Amino acid sequence: MTERHVSVENLVKTYPGAAKPSVDDVSFSLPRGEMLALLGPSGCGKTTILRMIAGLVEPTSGSIRLNGREVSGIPVYKRNMGMVFQAYALFPHMTVAENIAFGLEMRGIAKADRAAKVARALDLVKLSGLGDRRITQLSGGQQQRCAIARSLVIEPELLLLDEPLSNLDAKLRDEMRDEIREIQGRTGVTAIFVTHDQDEALSMADRLAVMSAGRLEQIGTPRQIFDRPETEFVASFIGAGNFLNGRVTAAGEAAVDGFGALRFVGDAAVGQDVRLMVRPHRLVMGGAANSFTGTVEHIVYRGQILTMTVRAGETRLQADLHTHAGALPEKGQTVTLGVAPEDVTFIGRAA
Amino acid sequence: MKAIRNLCLMLLYLFLLAPIIVVFIVSFDTRQYLAFPPESWSFGSYAKVFANDAFIAAFGRSVVIGLVVGLIAVAIGMLLSMALVRYKFRGRDTIGFLVLAPFLVPSIVLAVGLMLVLSPMGLLDTYAGIMLAHLGITVPYTVRTITMSLMAVDRRIEEAAMVHGASPFTVFRRITLPLVSPGLIAGGVIAFLISFDEATISLFIVSIRTSTLPTEIYRYLEYSTDPQIAALSVVLILISVAVVVLVERLIGLRKAI
Ligand SMILES: Nc1ncnc2c1ncn2[C@@H]1O[C@H](COP(=O)(O)OP(=O)(O)OP(=O)(O)O)[C@@H](O)[C@H]1O
Ligand SMILES: [Mg+2]
Repeated sequence: MTERHVSVENLVKTYPGAAKPSVDDVSFSLPRGEMLALLGPSGCGKTTILRMIAGLVEPTSGSIRLNGREVSGIPVYKRNMGMVFQAYALFPHMTVAENIAFGLEMRGIAKADRAAKVARALDLVKLSGLGDRRITQLSGGQQQRCAIARSLVIEPELLLLDEPLSNLDAKLRDEMRDEIREIQGRTGVTAIFVTHDQDEALSMADRLAVMSAGRLEQIGTPRQIFDRPETEFVASFIGAGNFLNGRVTAAGEAAVDGFGALRFVGDAAVGQDVRLMVRPHRLVMGGAANSFTGTVEHIVYRGQILTMTVRAGETRLQADLHTHAGALPEKGQTVTLGVAPEDVTFIGRAA
Repeated sequence: MKAIRNLCLMLLYLFLLAPIIVVFIVSFDTRQYLAFPPESWSFGSYAKVFANDAFIAAFGRSVVIGLVVGLIAVAIGMLLSMALVRYKFRGRDTIGFLVLAPFLVPSIVLAVGLMLVLSPMGLLDTYAGIMLAHLGITVPYTVRTITMSLMAVDRRIEEAAMVHGASPFTVFRRITLPLVSPGLIAGGVIAFLISFDEATISLFIVSIRTSTLPTEIYRYLEYSTDPQIAALSVVLILISVAVVVLVERLIGLRKAI
């Protein structure tokens, strides 16, 4: 219990006038120092969860605890949180340094200490020397780093980041990803990070919470989410997948059209109809385990990878193969592909 | 085509400015009645205006009334705008309409109404009375300018301040107020100028003790028509222009920084 820094239990939010809850019975918890990515399609309730944790939105029901203590009675400004808003929400009438110093000032930190902390924070986000600038004189990326500094400098109990990288170009986004991760690692702050970019989530977070239409689909480490998705939604939202229907014939083995017997990982009773998933890039040429033969129906050469659609029996599969300078499969050719049993994931019962 | 348009614009401006130009020219006339064009020129009328105790005293009262009305109208405007923009409550639309109603009512109707209300309260020809009357006609303007500014303030900026530790009052003082300051200044200046300039309603409410400059001018015109009035008008125009230019500079400067 003590290691649960933040815990959210059965959280529900139904906005006034809405027919369906925007956040529907969501529970999760974070140990101290963890970075959790909340991800899911637009409108699935990510921002709403962050705003409820910050206290900007009142939950319809459920509880939010910080260090085991219920926060519902604590007003927003006493929750000691840092938040990076999706649109930065910097104070336009203040300088960069004044923006960063704001939280410290609210906490009654003496002026000299404040200046020292602001200088350190500016340094941390590589904005040294820009402290006297107006917010309007900063580029988008600089504004974002200012917003991050503003929320980090107060050494908050919890850092909430709402799609902080959404307005940046690809290169700056990569840089900022590393920077945020590094800062979070160095300061050891617990953080919840909202994104709808799976790359961002996989590369930055200790754990991922995938949401769909207000519900939490699955929470786990990047590897668990990617390699062992528990629902078809998670499997298809994170990465691409081939979904197969089969019937379990023996423990860890199912009969799938086009494959014959396909060995997989997961608990399913013999005789059950199951849904299995294979990532396109986990298919390999040649007859390893779970090998099968099919006809190449379609092929696209993409430099690093070769994407082909293979038809085996009535089943069509996408396979992404690494390319090399030697002979590559061609359209119409018959190929033998295989996939390791641990790369065949049991998603659930067939629909 | 463009030349014609420019010509039309110039004629329009000339038409609008003609009275002011005439007044400006007449103010330098030396004759003791209003006529155009002047026969000889001097600053005599200006000297008389500045030596006229009734004008000077009324000017002082008008400035004081204008300043107090401006400040109170801004304060009331701020509170009303906060309520109208930020809170949903029953009767919000009604209040919104009532606030703007003075825009729709002719001044003379308003003047009679105000007189009938203020008279039994013993507020005729008092500072409180004239200020209340002027608040009635200036608050709609401050509500408008401040509401505009307030609607442009991103709620998330206030939320960010709150999340980072600012209590609701601190958010108001440190974030909301500075962000709507252009609306406050604009509203205050408009309220001051309207109060300073207002004649119709004031004529019904003030007599000797609290006569404002416009009512003093009106009374003066009843007995005499000499270039003093023209000179005084020019002074008033210059004051209005100076206030507007000054504020434009101030706000403009702030935005540029
Ligand atoms: N203030 C509000 N009033 C009513 N409905 C709202 C409000 N805020 C959000 N919603 C609704 O709640 C749902 C979830 O919104 P939310 O902003 O949490 O989504 P999100 O996951 O952050 O999406 P995005 O990725 O687009 O930012 C949406 O259907 C949205 O329309
Ligand atoms: Mg969002």
